[in-house]
Amino acid sequence: MSSRVCKNCGGTDIDVDQARGDAVCVGCGSVLEDNIIVSEVQFMETGGGGSSAVGQFVAGDASGRNPTFGDGFCTGVGRESQAQTLQNGRRQINTVGHQLQLNQHCMDTAFNFYKMAVCKRLTRGRRVTHVVAACLYLVCRTEGTPHMLLDLSDLLQVNVYVLGRTFLVLARELCINAPAIDPCLYIPRFAHMLEFGEKNHEVSMTALRLLQRMKRDWMHTGRRPSGLCGAALLVAARMHEFRRTIKEIISVVKVCEATLRKRLNEFEDTPTSQLTIEEFMKVDLDQECDPPSFIAGQRKKRMKLLEEELEKKIGDVQGEIHEYQDEIEMELEQSRPKLRGMYASCAKAGPQEEEDDEISLPDGEEREDEELKAVAQHLNKDLCDQVISGEEEEEDGEGQEERPPRRGPSLASLLGPMPTAASLGLPESISKCIGEEKENDGDNENGELDLSGIDDDEIEMYLLNDKEVKIKTALWMKQNEDYLKEQKEKEERIAKEKELGIYKEKKPKSSGSKKRAPIHASTANEAIEKMLEQKKISTKINYDILKELNIKPSASPARQTAESPKGATPGAQRLTGRYRKPTNVPLSLGTPLSTLGKRLWPFISAQPPKKLALDQKANPLPVASEVVPHSVLVESGPVVYDDVADEEEEDEEEPCVSAMELLGGNEYGCDDDDGF
Amino acid sequence: MEPSDDVALDIIITNVVAVFRTRCHLNLRTIALEGVNVIYKPEYGKVLMKLRKPRITASIWSSGKIICTGATSEDEAKQGARRLARTLQKLGFKVRFSEFKVVNVLAVCSMPFAIRLIDFTKNNRPIASYEPELHPAATYRIKTLKATVQVFSTGSLTITGPNVQTVATAVEHIYPMLSECQKPLRK
Repeated sequence: MSSRVCKNCGGTDIDVDQARGDAVCVGCGSVLEDNIIVSEVQFMETGGGGSSAVGQFVAGDASGRNPTFGDGFCTGVGRESQAQTLQNGRRQINTVGHQLQLNQHCMDTAFNFYKMAVCKRLTRGRRVTHVVAACLYLVCRTEGTPHMLLDLSDLLQVNVYVLGRTFLVLARELCINAPAIDPCLYIPRFAHMLEFGEKNHEVSMTALRLLQRMKRDWMHTGRRPSGLCGAALLVAARMHEFRRTIKEIISVVKVCEATLRKRLNEFEDTPTSQLTIEEFMKVDLDQECDPPSFIAGQRKKRMKLLEEELEKKIGDVQGEIHEYQDEIEMELEQSRPKLRGMYASCAKAGPQEEEDDEISLPDGEEREDEELKAVAQHLNKDLCDQVISGEEEEEDGEGQEERPPRRGPSLASLLGPMPTAASLGLPESISKCIGEEKENDGDNENGELDLSGIDDDEIEMYLLNDKEVKIKTALWMKQNEDYLKEQKEKEERIAKEKELGIYKEKKPKSSGSKKRAPIHASTANEAIEKMLEQKKISTKINYDILKELNIKPSASPARQTAESPKGATPGAQRLTGRYRKPTNVPLSLGTPLSTLGKRLWPFISAQPPKKLALDQKANPLPVASEVVPHSVLVESGPVVYDDVADEEEEDEEEPCVSAMELLGGNEYGCDDDDGF
Repeated sequence: MEPSDDVALDIIITNVVAVFRTRCHLNLRTIALEGVNVIYKPEYGKVLMKLRKPRITASIWSSGKIICTGATSEDEAKQGARRLARTLQKLGFKVRFSEFKVVNVLAVCSMPFAIRLIDFTKNNRPIASYEPELHPAATYRIKTLKATVQVFSTGSLTITGPNVQTVATAVEHIYPMLSECQKPLRK
């Protein structure tokens, strides 16, 4: 016991007797303490013969109150909420930890993290599951287990980014530096899942080597480690002659196919991919590549530069073309009148004749020809247009020139789009025969396109096509008139409501369709039958006919009414016929279809377009509602419930065919099966 | 700091977010019906109005609070906000342009070198965080400036801060750390 100073005499000599629990001052004899509380550990015997300490572990931060003092049953009651939170958290950690196959040590560490989080109030405003998952993932990262955040999110069915956010907050607040993920950690796990059998180890080693190569080649920064692992394993598997398809790999690695392909492509771009398998295992190239996204950026820049250069070049070339243009114009002026004959021959013959006729344009042009031809390819289209437009002016009788057609094609193709100050007529006339020439060249070279004669027609076809498009548009508008009308009406309605101030964006779906009128029936049979009517209404079954089979007297008026309104919706009528029986369902003008139960809506709206003729497509609803009271009036009440109930169940499938025959066959059809 | 001046980095501001208040209740339906470029979002209780001249999208609440996004500079944001207030005035509301404040500025910047993110994160442990599973960039939060810099391995940076000055300071702040972990280019 602590040596204290005696209060009376100030002496420090105090005698403590453990047996009696007293502390007595030796000097003056005053009793300082009585019934000293002893802090010792006591042991008791347990069932198996061992001994265990008596007592409970109490956390330092828990309050002193311990409800299990005397009785042991109300453990949850009265415990402080923090303890409860911790206990709850612990339980969740254990559950999830077991699913992840974490060992006890990891789970304990996770629980410690959780305690810290609770102390720092990080659990406030966050779901416990998220915090638990974050703690577990933190443990996984610090221990280096091959668990991905994706696994956790799979288990808990939580968005991985939400978990990630919680994890980041936790790591930051707890000042725990989770070491960066190394994709190499995942290799053994994935390799095991891919079942390489005995060669597992070798494949893993190869994959590891590949990964390290990828790291050096800067493919791994900023990328999901699982994607890299997948690519490495795929290549490693192929190297060891295992046929693992991409699909198998992505199911294990949990990335998508596009990612995997991209990684493989990037790897292909590295110089390492050129090595053979043996070389790869032995040699490690020193070069390091740049990150692929960086390369992509550089490539774009280069493309831009190239384009600029190309434009410059074209500019230069065009300067030269100007010169040739002037020369050609001079030549043309000399030999103008021959053009017409030339034109005719252009249309028929090949270029060989013209080639022979060609004499002497400056030879310098020949060199430029090839260059310009390349550029001319671009402008060929313009050329054809010009040819066609130039045809009209052909009658002017411009000078025919045999030489320019040969040289000209490439030059004139550039001449076309370039307006010359000299004379507009000339270039056009040149371009037309050159254009023809070009087409002929095309014919001779390819042998496929017969464009020379057909151009006009094609254009006319295009014109027609436009008309067709218009007609089509008109047709479409007609067809979808209803929808467009509906949209307009809706807008108007909304506008009105807006003005009135009752605007509601979403009209709540009428739940009346789901409500069913309560079935009042005297016998169980009636009840069953009514329920059947209300619920199970199959589109494949013509209930009318079913009933008519039994109830002849009332069937005939039904049939009459069914057939009488022409062009209306027999489908809807049949529905109402079906509803002859449940008298509790008020069949008035407004209500019939809304009370017909949810399943009838598709029946009503879907049937008419499919089964009826096109002209009968008009709004089924108003017609049906008109018809309904009609049929209700005609048809008399008496119904033989029992028979029909039985018949319904028996004959549901069979009369389908006969019903069709009875009613002429084309009104009833089978579309969607409501399941019988 | 010197290094950034030497290299002449281009910091391009891509987005400026500003808020202001009109000090009067606004009827969103009127705005939605009479405004030209407006989208009414009743589920969020706001109206989006898009201006063309400074390209700005403004979220207008009925309480009179307005958030203005999409501007490319602080001045433009103010101009756009003013224009918006004038538009609302013309619609008939007694708006007063008060408490204009730029709350967020987003800028991008590109380093001429690539960056080793793992080393960068290791060197700047608690401040920088890098989760390749979640986001390809390392996030560096500067508490003093209240700015966040996202560093990509290609050398591009995305900086967000409360104003343009902070953004510039942040870039200067982070430049030396980045150049330490740079990856020398071969090309």
